[in-house]
Amino acid sequence: MDKNRSQKYKARIDQALATPKLQQALHQFGDAYLLSREKAFIGHDFEALRSQIAEMKDDVREQLDHYLDEFCRNATAAGATIYHAATAEEANDYIASLAVAKGAKLAVKSKSMASEETHLNVALEKAGIQALETDLGEWIIQLAGQRPSHMVMPAIHMFKEEVAELFSKETGRQEPAEIQHLVEVARQQLRQGYLDADIGITGANIAVAETGGIALVTNEGNARLTSTLPKTHVVLVGIDKLVPTLEDAARIVQILPKNATGQLLTSYVTWIRGAVPCGETSKDLHIVLLDNGRRKLAASPDCRDALRCIKCGACANVCPVYQTVGGHVFGHIYIGAIGIILTAFYNGLDQAAELVRACIGCRACVAVCPSKIDLESIILSLREQVGDEEGIGLGKSLVFRKVMRNRKLFHSLIRAASILQKPVSRGERTIRHLPLFFSSLTEWRTLPTVAEKALRDQFDDLAQPLENPRYKVAFYGGCANDFIYPELGVDLVTVMNKLNVLVRYPKEQNCCGVPALYSGDKETAVAMAKQNIDALLKDDPDFVLTTCPTCTMALQRDFVEHLADDPAWAERAKRLAAITVDAAGFIVNQLQGADAFKELPGSEKVTYHDSCHLKRGAGVWREPRALIEAAGDELIEMAHADRCCGFGGSYSFTSHPDISKNILNDKIKDIEKSNADCVAMDCPGCLMQIRGGLEKQNLPTRALHTIELLAQKLRR
Amino acid sequence: MDFTIPFSTAAEAVGAEVIRCKNREQAIAYLLDQLKGSVLCPDFASGKRIGLVEKLLQAGVKPICSDFRMQAASAAAGITGANFGIANTGTIVLESSDEATRLASTLPEQHFILLDPAKIVSDGIAAVPHLRDLHQRDARNYIAYITGPSRTADIERVLTIGVHGPKRLHILLVSGISSDFMEN
Repeated sequence: MDKNRSQKYKARIDQALATPKLQQALHQFGDAYLLSREKAFIGHDFEALRSQIAEMKDDVREQLDHYLDEFCRNATAAGATIYHAATAEEANDYIASLAVAKGAKLAVKSKSMASEETHLNVALEKAGIQALETDLGEWIIQLAGQRPSHMVMPAIHMFKEEVAELFSKETGRQEPAEIQHLVEVARQQLRQGYLDADIGITGANIAVAETGGIALVTNEGNARLTSTLPKTHVVLVGIDKLVPTLEDAARIVQILPKNATGQLLTSYVTWIRGAVPCGETSKDLHIVLLDNGRRKLAASPDCRDALRCIKCGACANVCPVYQTVGGHVFGHIYIGAIGIILTAFYNGLDQAAELVRACIGCRACVAVCPSKIDLESIILSLREQVGDEEGIGLGKSLVFRKVMRNRKLFHSLIRAASILQKPVSRGERTIRHLPLFFSSLTEWRTLPTVAEKALRDQFDDLAQPLENPRYKVAFYGGCANDFIYPELGVDLVTVMNKLNVLVRYPKEQNCCGVPALYSGDKETAVAMAKQNIDALLKDDPDFVLTTCPTCTMALQRDFVEHLADDPAWAERAKRLAAITVDAAGFIVNQLQGADAFKELPGSEKVTYHDSCHLKRGAGVWREPRALIEAAGDELIEMAHADRCCGFGGSYSFTSHPDISKNILNDKIKDIEKSNADCVAMDCPGCLMQIRGGLEKQNLPTRALHTIELLAQKLRR
Repeated sequence: MDFTIPFSTAAEAVGAEVIRCKNREQAIAYLLDQLKGSVLCPDFASGKRIGLVEKLLQAGVKPICSDFRMQAASAAAGITGANFGIANTGTIVLESSDEATRLASTLPEQHFILLDPAKIVSDGIAAVPHLRDLHQRDARNYIAYITGPSRTADIERVLTIGVHGPKRLHILLVSGISSDFMEN
């Protein structure tokens, strides 16, 4: 790992975290965005729309050269000049040479992320041509000498006072910090630019093979002026923007503004084909088709779905990490989840090495992506690549390869830890303070101790007096259940026995491998998948139950993917996936058993926290709510119920504890505002995080796993 | 199907001013009432059909009908027709390969559009066949979808109207001025 790079990255995080105004702005935007987005999609089937986009984009990737040929043929026939740029340098050189050849002094630009990607402005300045950004946000950051912190709203990180200061310098007057006024200043200042410019440079949201034309999706009207007034129009467009037909283009136009900003449609969609009239002559239209890593991305089976991206920026809008640190930390040129991936291919894996670890894995982006890209999985595979190339750190590597793969050693060490922790735990179940350099870990949350007796060491003593059980299930506890919250395992037995289900605990089960996988060590994850498949299928259970959704995802999805090409394991992995189900889902869907908890004594106000991997991974979120209500509690929805709590496993311990702390504080505030007596959830990781945060802030709200909540009622 | 109401509702929701004119005279009266300063008046079929330029001249307004490049930057308004409308987003589709049409609809602070309400389709997907027809008729195209006035939210995400394009967009719905989606 590159220490210098890591230090710079950490400094950027610290700086962002020290700007609460930024966080406030991004949180407010995130909230407003969700509301307007929901409204914009009323009457539309988002799932159907995004499936269509994904399918169409995949077709283009598979037949890229075919559609490119068609596009170029039609564009050329309409009088455009095409240039194929393999790299950013080639694109810049072409455009700068063209400008020089035309004796150009000034180029006006409308917003183009592709030109940010190639650093076109720098190349133009070097060639002696002034590049003037005309999109308001782009102009602001150009004046500030910065780069965009959001793909759709480049200056989202700036405030009107800063803008007023920048504009005042430009006009030589004192411009008041009033937004309407500042917008008018931009209108007046930039107007002459369009009239004076020799060249207009735009990007393109879509390139249509059928027509050889492009489409620009904009709000301000600057792209219309940029593409109308100067005699020369240069379009810089990534080859990923290609679509086959006008219908396909219309579908992108339909979904893009809704998903980007919650607008039904932008003010302008401009369809331009060929050398249209310009003054007394025709426009000189040049279309620069940019590869710069896109073909490499298309050739990567693990990552290529990222080419479906239509650049709406939604993955940033909903990202708790982005909302905490902004796009100057969580991104390079392209920002947010998609930015991490594109950076790796367009700018090099080295530029993305820190960013691939900054994703907390909550899958909020996956749920809103209009092209159905599994951003989290792609980021994970990149993390694995970084792990392979740079190593994952000696400590982690040792733990994963030498310890965790050896289950007996791993479990003996955890047992030893339960004894070693005594000086700090003082026999309590939580640690409120840790000494020395560990102290920062317990500054903002208490941590649970390793239980004195693991679930596996007490399971056989649990009486299960069932004469004729309806099902025999194997319980997959996962590390947290087994060693930290063994009582949750006991509670599961209580609840299942009430429903006439017998629970077994296969002792050879090991960690699900997700910590290794998320740290970039896939080899260990695969080895552990095999151990678990053996252990869990051994007694041919009717179902395998989980109480941790991250484990659920591992058993239902990851194991199958890891072993798909291994004939000795593929079928068994599928079999395990088919019978794995989370406890709450099992009770409601398989057993139709919610009624068993009716008329139990006691009722309190309960709010529910959706764990990321349960809702957006396993698709379970109605079921626990149904159980809480069946059990007679009053369910109160908190705001942002399905927003990540900031746990993310090692994310909160080693890789990004400061970001984790901030995300947790957001969650605690939402829980407090709900006025609930208890917050329920279905994940031991969330439980550790939220319970720890509530305890540290001395708040009375109880944090419970839904299964604990039910078991406590049964025992009353 | 009559899409006048959904079209008007959607267009007004994004800040366009929709005027449902009973007849041509009412449309002219509205224009005369609103027009202040010089007005760009490119050649367009529905305008010709209602004798737009003559009527403006009669009323003492001198429309700019040539030399658009020189005059556009200082003009107060532009008047154009519309090829058709899209109901669910309140969008005007304007084939503006003719540069005068483009200048009239981009540079001035006010843009007046004459649309025959018979030429409105339901949504963006239903617009595609007409979009294709325009592409098949002309070898080169500059086709604008215009939905409300120019807007930005680039400073503190506050919606602000009129950044580079028109600050006001007036859509005059006038029946019987055009039935052809290929003209404006």
